[in-house]
Amino acid sequence: MRRTTRRLAAHRSAIHRLAARLLAVRPFGPGARGRAALPATEPAAATPRTGPRRRTPRSLSTTAAVLALALTAGCSSSDGGSDDDDNGKRRAPGTLRVLASSELSDLSSVLKDAERATGVKIEPTWTGTLDGAQTVASGRADGTYDAVWLASNDYLRLLTGEQKKIRTETPIVSSPVALGVREGAVKRLGWEPGRVTWSDVHKAVTDGKLTYGMTDPVRSNSGYSALIALTSALSGAQSALTDADVRAASPKLREFFAGQKLTSGSSGWLAEAFARRAGQRPPVDALINYESVLLSLQRGKLLGHDGERGADSDTATTEPVAGIGDLTVIRPTDGVVTADYPLSLLTSADQGARDSYASLTRYLRSPEAQRALTRETFRRPVNSSVPPTDGIAREPRRELPFPGSRDVADRLLDSYENELRRPSRTVYVLDTSGSMDEERLGRLKAALRKLTGSDDSATGKRFRDREEVTLMPFSDQVKEVNTHTVPEREPARALDLIRADVDGLVAGGDTAIYSSLQEAYRHLGERASKAGDDRFTSIVLMTDGENTTGAKAGDFDAFYRGLSGDQRSVPVFPILFGDSDRTELEHIADLTGGQLFDAVEGSLDGAFEEIRGYQ
Amino acid sequence: MKRILGIVLAFALIGGVITAVVLGRDDSEASGTTTVRGVIGSEKADFLNDPEVLDALADRGFAVETESSGSWDMKDMDLKGADFAFPGSAAPADALGRAHRVQGSPLRPFYSPLVVLARRPAAKTLAANGYVKLTGPAGREGSGTLRMDPFLKAAGKDTTWQELKGSGEYAELKGTLSITSTDPLASNSGALYLATAAYVANGNRLVSDAEGVAAVTPLTRKLTAVQGRQNVNSEDLFRDFTVGVGTPLVLAYESQIAALLIRGDTVPDLVVLYPDTTVFSDHTLVPLTEQGRKFGELLQRDPTLRGLAVRHGFRPVGGSAEFAAATAKHGTYLRQKLTGTVQQAPVPTAEVMREITSRSRAQK
Repeated sequence: MRRTTRRLAAHRSAIHRLAARLLAVRPFGPGARGRAALPATEPAAATPRTGPRRRTPRSLSTTAAVLALALTAGCSSSDGGSDDDDNGKRRAPGTLRVLASSELSDLSSVLKDAERATGVKIEPTWTGTLDGAQTVASGRADGTYDAVWLASNDYLRLLTGEQKKIRTETPIVSSPVALGVREGAVKRLGWEPGRVTWSDVHKAVTDGKLTYGMTDPVRSNSGYSALIALTSALSGAQSALTDADVRAASPKLREFFAGQKLTSGSSGWLAEAFARRAGQRPPVDALINYESVLLSLQRGKLLGHDGERGADSDTATTEPVAGIGDLTVIRPTDGVVTADYPLSLLTSADQGARDSYASLTRYLRSPEAQRALTRETFRRPVNSSVPPTDGIAREPRRELPFPGSRDVADRLLDSYENELRRPSRTVYVLDTSGSMDEERLGRLKAALRKLTGSDDSATGKRFRDREEVTLMPFSDQVKEVNTHTVPEREPARALDLIRADVDGLVAGGDTAIYSSLQEAYRHLGERASKAGDDRFTSIVLMTDGENTTGAKAGDFDAFYRGLSGDQRSVPVFPILFGDSDRTELEHIADLTGGQLFDAVEGSLDGAFEEIRGYQ
Repeated sequence: MKRILGIVLAFALIGGVITAVVLGRDDSEASGTTTVRGVIGSEKADFLNDPEVLDALADRGFAVETESSGSWDMKDMDLKGADFAFPGSAAPADALGRAHRVQGSPLRPFYSPLVVLARRPAAKTLAANGYVKLTGPAGREGSGTLRMDPFLKAAGKDTTWQELKGSGEYAELKGTLSITSTDPLASNSGALYLATAAYVANGNRLVSDAEGVAAVTPLTRKLTAVQGRQNVNSEDLFRDFTVGVGTPLVLAYESQIAALLIRGDTVPDLVVLYPDTTVFSDHTLVPLTEQGRKFGELLQRDPTLRGLAVRHGFRPVGGSAEFAAATAKHGTYLRQKLTGTVQQAPVPTAEVMREITSRSRAQK
């Protein structure tokens, strides 16, 4: 009897809260924002401060709810007509502007349920965890976002130090960074999945028995977490990493990274690239990624991107990526690093956002939401009353500490970038045809100049030590081929030379996209055989127009198919810019296993910088 | 056309809001419900979100909205609109009381000693090496006493689990011997752990001046540095322990594990270690408004709410019988009486505490 009463009370209170929420929120929603006809009332004022949590006469609640729903329906129909003066900076009440890790785009159905239950809509802007942390630490998030939802706040807290950027944080789900290995490799190595250590993985790689993919630790949390686990294991560190541990692990790390075959700026794209390689010879044996991504991939439930990245791509997901059913998920016994996805309210958020945050987090931690989260995304629930979904191992696991000081964390990244990783070979195929007017050419030069860095460039912001960079400006044909390798000692001189080449770019002539791309592949083939080395190799294509001369799309397709297996694994990353043809560029990206970056919606420097994660 | 429709609808909406606000206000005044907002330590979030607690509060005319924060972080928070702050102990509460010029005494409805949670392999290894005295039948030990002085001495010398005899059987027992705590700069329990360590290292004397702080800094720095990045919320750390993630020894409030046991859950191979010297964490409510004070007084005095606090594992002040009754079934893990078995370390002043914690984190 008592139970029934309580449930009724809870039900009533839920209806009332919904009503209050909708009433407080919708009138000032997107449709009405900025309209002179409306008084600028604070949303908080519309929520009765002495609002009852229950004990509302049912008739009133119901009336209010009906009224709210009717009004909501009315309001949304007016949304379309009034977006002209929306500066996109202010928070619409009832929305929470969230800077979120890109892999969380798989939560969209749970977030829709959350919106239905709480009236709070998340307005996401996707980012990498480390980039997101830098955005918050630099203060650029203040006033632009209300909350940040990254894979982990560990790096963010190191960056912010004593300054308090986060008001409160609530972990929502968790997922350790693990290793997914194809069945053939597990058998070949004779591994018992429950007994594998990172040292075993290192040995398999250095013996040439295991190839793998991992994201760029400078941009992606899963890669950084793996780097921490590997450094801990290979240095024999007994506690949180120190500089001495990083130094001790370096030789082994360098060996380990020599066996890396795939890299990426995001964990989702890495899994897609891995799946793509599954059908090719030689396939890649293993993948370092979140347990959740590995399980999704294993079950054919990983959603692909819509073939585009860039500042404003809303990562509308398309159909699932082809599953890799024979993937075994291994959590090395010497320890893993786990992402706990804390939804974190910024100190700059206003009272309305705080309220939205509170009801949203309460919902997301509820058993109902936690069940949906683990079932749909294969992450682990944080509400201990909800068991993890089938397929997630329950044995205790050792968690490795994240470095406790920013010096160590940054030094680890810097060593990776400039000393430890497999070096890269990058060709920039740059449209300098007549349509590149002064303004466009100026933007191109500025973006490239940025990559040549300065003395104090942060890790990942400039061409890496040991990187081979070729600039290949083209119009009717390739105009020049300028190659420089950035040496480990005194990189400044080579960077100066690249900068001089950039400054010398001149526009004029037609646009021969395909002929120039073919030239780039030929150049890479020659470089590789001449140097006899093994590098991450990729092509960036920047064009502001359509192909007007030289080889046609069909010619390029045939050319590409005639390349050797090694050459075919070189992806082209086209950048959409000016009047370039999206379909044409998307086709090039799809064909070569690259990815399209949008510099029409987003910025050109942003696109160039984001591509670094894939090179 | 769309625009006109939009404006018409907008006016209709404003009308709706005004109606609802007026109706809502009438209603709440009629029932006399007051909503209080507060910032709380995460270890009390379950308690203050429990539907039964909310029901009991509503019966007494209160609704409560809370957000979690590290106890020491509350000092720097914008508390405009908050009726109370509810950190985990007296020192951050004193600092808050001074910062916000709170009149009258803070309220201490309940307390909880700090304990160390372990799985049986870790507890048995510590016992075999003389750091722990276990209680309970062999193989089913659920509780024990952690001897802080020798344990901290071993931790201070970078002793590893591998060096302890008997650890070889357990693959998960690796790395430097240490207790995982929250970030002492942000959170209460992490700070109290260092305060306990400082007291023990100072020969069971309270550290009260700069000289004393300097003397214990090598140890506190070590205890902090081995952990790397630390959690801000004790609840997150506790949750990781319950699902088998993390490190062998985790600092927790007794209330956290007691609440779990009282609601009928278990943790496989659980052993609750009571340090022979520990700190009782006085959960202290700092009222920022009159309503906040009334709310705090209610928590302190109301028998139903005290009973609910016990169900969440807290020990109400002057209510040892209530706690004993609620935990009678869980004697394997929990100690009903603390006197005689556990020595309570006094807590330094807020200033000395800040000095201890910030120096534990300083690089040099």
